[in-house]
Amino acid sequence: MFYPKNLAGLLPAAACVVMLLLPGLSQAQERTVKIAGWGAKSGPLRSFGVNSEAVLKAAVESINAAGGVSLGDGTRAMMEMEYYDSACNADQAISVARKVASQTEALIGIGPTCSGAAAAMYGIFQKNVDNSGDTGLQFPILTDTAIRPGLAKKSQWTFRNVPNEINMYDELFAWLRENHPDVKTIYGGTETNQAHSKLTFAKVIVQMATKHGFEWVGGGIDGLTGKIGSGSDQVLETTKASNWLMEDTNFSVQARAFKKSRADMLIVSSHPFTTCGMLKEMKRQRVRPKVLVGLTSSSSQETLLGCAAEAEGMYIPTGFAPVTSVAKRVAKAATANGGFADLHSAAAWENAWIIKQVVEETGIMAKPSTLAADRRKMRDGLEALDNVDGLLGSVGRVRDEGESIKPFVFVQATGGQWVVVHDPRN
Amino acid sequence: MEFYFGLAQIIGIHVILGLSAYVLMLTGQLSLAQAGFFAIGAYSAGILTVLFQFHIVPALIIASLVAGLFAFLIGFPALRVRGLMLVVATIAFSEVVRLFFFNLSWRKTIDGIEAGPDSTNGFREIRFFAANGWEPYQVTLFVWLFVALVMFLIWWSDRARSGAVLRAVGEDELAAHSVGINITAVKVAAMTAGGMIAGIGGALYAHTATYVDHLTFTILLGTFAIAYPILGGLRSVFGTLLAVVLIQGVLVEGLRALGDWRNILFGVIIILTMNLKPGGLFDTQTVQALRKGLAFRDKGAPNA
Repeated sequence: MFYPKNLAGLLPAAACVVMLLLPGLSQAQERTVKIAGWGAKSGPLRSFGVNSEAVLKAAVESINAAGGVSLGDGTRAMMEMEYYDSACNADQAISVARKVASQTEALIGIGPTCSGAAAAMYGIFQKNVDNSGDTGLQFPILTDTAIRPGLAKKSQWTFRNVPNEINMYDELFAWLRENHPDVKTIYGGTETNQAHSKLTFAKVIVQMATKHGFEWVGGGIDGLTGKIGSGSDQVLETTKASNWLMEDTNFSVQARAFKKSRADMLIVSSHPFTTCGMLKEMKRQRVRPKVLVGLTSSSSQETLLGCAAEAEGMYIPTGFAPVTSVAKRVAKAATANGGFADLHSAAAWENAWIIKQVVEETGIMAKPSTLAADRRKMRDGLEALDNVDGLLGSVGRVRDEGESIKPFVFVQATGGQWVVVHDPRN
Repeated sequence: MEFYFGLAQIIGIHVILGLSAYVLMLTGQLSLAQAGFFAIGAYSAGILTVLFQFHIVPALIIASLVAGLFAFLIGFPALRVRGLMLVVATIAFSEVVRLFFFNLSWRKTIDGIEAGPDSTNGFREIRFFAANGWEPYQVTLFVWLFVALVMFLIWWSDRARSGAVLRAVGEDELAAHSVGINITAVKVAAMTAGGMIAGIGGALYAHTATYVDHLTFTILLGTFAIAYPILGGLRSVFGTLLAVVLIQGVLVEGLRALGDWRNILFGVIIILTMNLKPGGLFDTQTVQALRKGLAFRDKGAPNA
């Protein structure tokens, strides 16, 4: 028999039950399109994650301000984003991917930052969809930053929206050939323990320069033609190029080799941190090439903040520049959120809008009960995309490879800013 | 649950890595070569399952033996130095191993896909578990089977004469030598056992991560390997387990939102532990307190 005293004792328990049920009730009333991002927000490459988060946050805010996303049953839902720090570390990228896929209701993940972490993380995903014998993770990914060529085809669940450096450098050297007819010889170096810098230098930049008639100093490189990857083993030999490591802080030997080469055009294929170190040393040693070319990843604000004066005149092809009205808006919004929009982070904006498009085209319901089906629809929707609107124009998709073909421009460091000197779209 | 299984796998693998350093530290040797043995195990097992289509079990055993062989070989020259010099020598070994794999390119076409170590590009497609339909819980059980095995062997050895010999050498080499213990044999055996254990850890790591490259095996990994037994203490293998749970579970995963501050916190914890509990978190005092607590519970509380 219950007495009032006992009932009073039950009240806290009842309150607890109600509190536990409340989130479920509110979920039923308000559906949201949840997405998750992750990247390096700690460690030496933390600026990449900070920038991506800032741009992604701005994109989600703009989508919500425009009325949100239309779901399969016509309901309007807001987009929600959570961003995780996975450093530039394979273990952590894998751990976050597993956490997001199994512990959250995110429809899709955007990340990670580093190509090495992405290469590792993609490996835990199911290789081919509908292969019941493969127990890999079944969760769609749309990477914004990791740029090393050929990664996305590792799994049919992984997609990327990153620039194609082969096209970029091909066009850049063609343009330089035309606009700097006095430039005949080239020389350069890279940070050899950074896979993206090294591979782009050894397999793309040197070959594309050769393709357009520039001659590598010092007798050339055996087997080097204009073909991608030709002579790549020799490109990195110390007798052919002058290289450094990501952790290096002293570049005197390399700058001296650059000076001794007397090449008309010098190539510094590295990320902003060592690019600035190298450029400062080159200035100190009065190395003055006719043309200076940098790596795509250095077309960022970090380079200008670190060494604007030393980078003056440097050409870089990039997938982002504030040349359209929406690109200008993104650059402003990113700064307001504590980051910068550049060729890597700007892709996060496009990704959020691509996700909105896919949700609306595939009739995603965004209910907890339809989570697995929604993720599958998201994957299939991404696979089916042909073209999407990007910040610089239409972004093409490469079927079966999960990769993109993005528009790009050539920028030059001028007076502490990246100024667009050529727009191949025109 | 996928996330928790993944986390349990990471913790298990790091426990094995920590125990590989634990065995060595019992003999008073501080080595940063564990990252190198871990790398040898990872690449060897990966090559066997990917390029030669081995099953994971024989691949693990062979990888462990290969890592053990290298540990045995460097055990002799390492005997010539001790203390800081040994640390420097073992760092050099780890760097040699790391740079070897940084340059190793051994590619074969398997089922229409080019696979194998690819120097800077790393070693992808080590997908034995997923490709053979292993569920995450099965992989976790498999990893922890080896964790339990290694922990049991060390725990058992600690209660046998072999454990006493290891600790005797660690406490006072001269005294141990004076009672007839062959110091060279003991130290080389500890180095070999540590290498074999690290090799198992590396092999498991490569297959759970599905990808390895030279950046995985930097000096930071070797530092973690010795940090676990230092933090947990050398009194019991459970100290290393506790330290790994604290660092990998709480610090790295639980406090992810803190970003770079986690690294500072890691340093602070190590400094605090060394000052407040020099014998590690699981030192004699803690073990006795736990025993007392258990005995009290078994006997029941005294009558009031």
